[in-house]
Amino acid sequence: MSWLRQLCLNFTKYTRISTTGALNITNLRIGHAFSTAPTPYEVVNPNENRQLTDEIIGRVNEEKKGRLFAIVHLAGKQFKVTEGDVIVVEGYWPPTTGDKINLDKVLMLGAPNFTLIGRPLIQTSLIDVHATVIEKTLSHTKVNFKKKRRKQYKRINFYRIQQTMLRINKVGFVGELNKPEGVVVKDRSYT
Amino acid sequence: MSNKLFLTPKFITTPSQNGVGRYVCQLQRVVLKFCKNHGSSRGLREFIEHDLINYSKENPGTVVYLKPRRHRGPVIVGEYLNGDQQSIYCRNFSREEISKWLNLLLSQSGNHDGTRLRKLWHTEHPSIQGPWTPYTFRDPMLNLVKFPNADLSKVLNQPKTATEQLLELFEKKKNDHAPKQQSE
Repeated sequence: MSWLRQLCLNFTKYTRISTTGALNITNLRIGHAFSTAPTPYEVVNPNENRQLTDEIIGRVNEEKKGRLFAIVHLAGKQFKVTEGDVIVVEGYWPPTTGDKINLDKVLMLGAPNFTLIGRPLIQTSLIDVHATVIEKTLSHTKVNFKKKRRKQYKRINFYRIQQTMLRINKVGFVGELNKPEGVVVKDRSYT
Repeated sequence: MSNKLFLTPKFITTPSQNGVGRYVCQLQRVVLKFCKNHGSSRGLREFIEHDLINYSKENPGTVVYLKPRRHRGPVIVGEYLNGDQQSIYCRNFSREEISKWLNLLLSQSGNHDGTRLRKLWHTEHPSIQGPWTPYTFRDPMLNLVKFPNADLSKVLNQPKTATEQLLELFEKKKNDHAPKQQSE
């Protein structure tokens, strides 16, 4: 199964365009910082390995019901979460206790046998990650102490950071992989 | 037992799976202690006059008690469902400050004074795809290797000996000269 695990699944585009390694040096003129020549590319045959891709997608659609994890981008940080987790968001963050929120910025979704990697995000129609705010509190008192030797300079400052605790209620995979017809863009609220 | 000098390191705890089904406010009751005359309780008195009714209406799960007492400083005491008690001394606090502290009591799940969170993440399932070991993503052929094995027992990152370097140089020169001789 490890070969399946390592596959990054290409499900958003049928046609893959890859740049070739060789650059056309004759198009570069000395004295110019950048070349104006178009980036060389080659069109990869989309029907190549079609059978293998279809098989993998089929298996992913079968196996998506187990426990999943997701890498979620939230308030400037990334968290690896699964159902039942509690995470702490630090700093000022408006949601209050009891609020239920959808986490739409999902960078990766993983199951025991496959991983979906977003480029950089996974489509919101494919995933369902939601959470409840369960606590808003303050951190312990932190000390900011500055001193310069032999300069009669000493400053001390105490501060506490706001902390918001989130319970992850669900990490789900909804819809079918590689079915772009029914894509519905949800009303997004990125945090 | 709260230690005043050192913080107790703790992990995230949540009372009785709060938030898994629904969210339950963990503040059980609040006692506002104040003086009717003294200036240091003025903010608390203003809060009681203007905002207290709204506060208790918005939070029907919390009982609010008022305790006037003569010539003593104003204190807010909160009691949580887990039995914790937290008191905040609010001498000369303004009305806004009082409402901020009361909202903090509301949104907390217990008295966290004197504790420090060791991790900002709590999980019951640390790994879904299995934890990493030195053998993950290694060639499965390694399972069939028979020991002693000369190839695997070699010392890694061994620098080249002087003899090897000289031999390499000699080979390189030989190759450089070879096509020239052919062209002549």
